[in-house]
Amino acid sequence: MTLSTTDTTWYPVASSTDLPLRHVFHGQLLGRELAIWRADDGNVNVWENRCLHRGVRLSIGINEGGELKCQYHGWRYANRSAGCTYIPAHPADAPARRITNTTYPAVEAFGLVWSANNGAAEFAPFDGSASAEWLALRPMPINATTEDVLKALEGYAVTAEKGILGVATVTERLPGLAVKVTVELKEGHRSIVFFVQPVDSNRCVVRGLLDHTFPDINAQLRSHNEGLVQLRDRLERLAEKKPIPEPLTPSFEKVSVELSTMPEITIGSALTLRAMVKRKWATATGITAFELTALDGNHLPTFQPGAHIDVHLPNGLSRQYSITNGPGELLSYTIGVKRDLASKGGSEVLIDTVREGDVLAISEPRNNFPLRRDTIRTVLIAGGIGITPILSMARFLAKSNLPYELHYIVRSEDQIAFRDQIDALGANVTLHIGLPRAAIAETITKTLGAHSFAQHVYICGPGSLLETVRTTAADLGWPDEAVHYEYFRNDRVIDDSSAFEVELARSAMTLHIPSGKTVLEVMREAGLQVSSSCEQGACGTCLTGVMEGTPDHQDVYLNASEKRANNCMMTCVSRSLTPRLVLDI
Amino acid sequence: MAITLYDFELSGNCYKLRLLMSILGVRYDIIPVDFYPGRQHKSDWFLKLNPLGQLPVLVDDGLVLRDSGAILAYLARKYDPSGLWFPTEPVQLAEVLQWHAFADDITATASAARLALGMFYDFDLPKVQAGAHRLFRLMDEHLWFGEREGRAWLCAAPHPTTADIACFPYVMLSEEGNISRMDYPAIRRWSDRVRRIPGFTVMSGIFPAGRAAAE
Repeated sequence: MTLSTTDTTWYPVASSTDLPLRHVFHGQLLGRELAIWRADDGNVNVWENRCLHRGVRLSIGINEGGELKCQYHGWRYANRSAGCTYIPAHPADAPARRITNTTYPAVEAFGLVWSANNGAAEFAPFDGSASAEWLALRPMPINATTEDVLKALEGYAVTAEKGILGVATVTERLPGLAVKVTVELKEGHRSIVFFVQPVDSNRCVVRGLLDHTFPDINAQLRSHNEGLVQLRDRLERLAEKKPIPEPLTPSFEKVSVELSTMPEITIGSALTLRAMVKRKWATATGITAFELTALDGNHLPTFQPGAHIDVHLPNGLSRQYSITNGPGELLSYTIGVKRDLASKGGSEVLIDTVREGDVLAISEPRNNFPLRRDTIRTVLIAGGIGITPILSMARFLAKSNLPYELHYIVRSEDQIAFRDQIDALGANVTLHIGLPRAAIAETITKTLGAHSFAQHVYICGPGSLLETVRTTAADLGWPDEAVHYEYFRNDRVIDDSSAFEVELARSAMTLHIPSGKTVLEVMREAGLQVSSSCEQGACGTCLTGVMEGTPDHQDVYLNASEKRANNCMMTCVSRSLTPRLVLDI
Repeated sequence: MAITLYDFELSGNCYKLRLLMSILGVRYDIIPVDFYPGRQHKSDWFLKLNPLGQLPVLVDDGLVLRDSGAILAYLARKYDPSGLWFPTEPVQLAEVLQWHAFADDITATASAARLALGMFYDFDLPKVQAGAHRLFRLMDEHLWFGEREGRAWLCAAPHPTTADIACFPYVMLSEEGNISRMDYPAIRRWSDRVRRIPGFTVMSGIFPAGRAAAE
C-alpha cells in the first residue's frame, strides 16, 4: 500500500489534550507539516506550518488566544480564517490584501483532533463510534511504515492486554488506516480502536481509543503505553533491516497571484456576501445591536480592529457599520446601529424592518481606522455610538496584553452600549456619564496629557467630540500622526460650484467636471469602475492619488497634514483649486 | 562580593547559569570565552581555572566552580532564599540529581549533534541523534504521565527545580542538531511552562513563549 500526498481521508493528528490554551502543537500528515492551535474560544486551527511571509514555522509562534503571532516578524493571523491582521513593519496600515495562510479542515471528536487534505468529504465518525465514551491513549510515534504498524496492531491485544485482562481477541480493519481490537472480558466485550496517522512514508503515530475504563485510569493508560512501546521497539528493529522508503514529497503551492502581484488600480466594488441576522437586541437606549452570521455556518472574512462593513439595506441604501468583535471572532460580526432621526433612512430601516432570520447583503470588512500595536500608551476615546470600532480595538489590545485606556463618553447610564463587553475590559475602562459639554475639553486635556514618544489616541464619536479631541490634542503638542479618528459622516456643506478639467494619467482620459457634479460621478459616466462607499467624504474608499494640481479638500477623512500634502483626494466630494488636476487613475 | 561567569554566548551549559541567575535576580559579570572558533577553553589561562577545559566556570568571591549542574546547585542553595530550586530533603534531592545526570546525557547527545552540525565537531552524528531521541522519548513519556497525574515539572515537587533548568537548553536547541521535537508534544508543553517562569531569559535559538491563558 502506497501513501498518497493527495489522499483526502480524515486522520487524527493530535489528542485534544495536546492543545491546552495558548500553545501551538507541531504535527505532520502525509509529509505536510502542521501548526495546530486552540483559540480561547475552543476552536481548533489546523494550518500549514509556514508563515507565508518568510516561510518560518508557525509552530514556534505565539498563540495569543485569538491570533497566532509568527515568531520571526510578528505577523498576526486570525483564528479560523488564518487571515493576516497585523504587520508590525507597517504598524499604521491595515494589511491591505487578502493575506491568508493555508488552512486545513479540522474536527475534534472522541478526544482526538482530525484533519485531512483540502477537498475532503465531510468528516464521518467511524463505525461504532456512538457506542462509547472514548478515551484517547498516549499517542505513540513509530518510525515504520503504516502497513507494518497496522499488521503489528492486529496482534496488539495479545501483547498488551494479556497480563492484565487475559483472554482472546478479534481484530478487524476499519477504513482509514485503523484496526479495531475486541477483547473478551468477564464484563463483556471491550474494544480498542487504533488509528494510524500517516506522518511520512516511514513514520506514523498510533492513536488508540479505549471504549472502556477501569477505576485506575492512569494505570490502564500506563499499561497500554507499555504495550505500544514494546510494539514500537519491535517494529523499529525490523524497520532498520528494511530499505528506507523514499520520503513523501507533498507539493507546496506557490503564493497566489493575488498575493504576489500589485492589486488592480481600480478595485471595483468590494465583494458582497450574504449574512443572516442571528440576533437583534436593544443594547442601549436608542442603539440596536445586530449579530450577523454566514448562511453556511462557516466563518466570515478576516477583519482588523477598526474595520467596518457596508450593509446594503432593503431600501437600496448602503450604510457603514463598525465591527465590534475581538480578535479571531469570525463566526459572526456584531454591529451597533443608532436610531438617527436625521438620517436619510438608513438606521431607521435596519431597526424597524429587519428581523432575526432576515438575510442582508454586506461587504467584506474594510479598514480605514487601523490600530497600531507598537505603542507605549494607547488612549481610546468613544462618544455614544462611536464605541463600536473602539470596543473592537480595546478587545484586541486586551487580548495581547498591550497597555491601553478606554474613555467612553455617554449622556446617561442607559446609553452605554455593549455593557457586558465593556465591563469585561475591567479597570482599563473609564466611563464619563453625563459630562456637561463645557467639561469635555477639560476632561480630554486631563486624559491625554502632554504627548510623548509612541503614544497614540483613537477617537470615534460625534463630529463635535472629534473636533474637541483633535484641537485639544494639537494644543497639547500631539502630532497629527498620533491622532487617529473616524468620522461617521461629513457634516460640512459641500461646495460643488467649481468647474475644472481632470486628467486621468493611467486611463489616458481627460474629463470635464461641471459644477454640480462630482469627479466620481463624471468618471463613472465615462465608463470607469471606481469604488466608493459613503460618497460624502467620510469613509476613504474613493481615495485617489493626485499627481498635479491642487485639490479643494472637502472631506473629513484626511487629516490636516495629509490635506496640506495635496498628493491625494476624495473624488466623491473634493474638487480642484486649479483649472486642471492630474489623478493617478 | 561579585560573581563572574566565564561564558560562551552559544553554550547551552553557560545559558543554564544565566537562566537561573536571571530567575533568582542574581547580578553577575561575564568574561566571554571564545569556545568556537577560538578554542580558548583549551588555552593555558583557562585550563588554570578548569583543568578539564570545559565551560562554564563561575567564580564567586574567589571560589572557583566548574560543571553547570554543580554550579546550579551552588547558586540555588546560596541565592534562593525559598530553598525550592534545589531541595535538600533526601528524596527530592536524589530526584533532582537524577535529572542533572539525565541533563548530562542530553548534553552528550543533543548538544553533540549541534556541535557536529554547527561547529564541525567530529562526532558520530546518527549515533548522537539516535541517543537524543531515546532520551527525549523517556522524557516525553515522563512528562505526559506527569500531566495526567498533576505534575507539571520533571520532579514531583509542585514547582520547578534546577532539574528543569538543567534539561531545558539542549532540548530546546536540539533542532540545530537536526533532532526534531515533533514527536514530543509533552516536552513542547513543558517547554512553554519553563519559558513562563518569572525572570526567564532567552538565548540565541530559544524563543520566548507568550503569556499563559488567564486563570
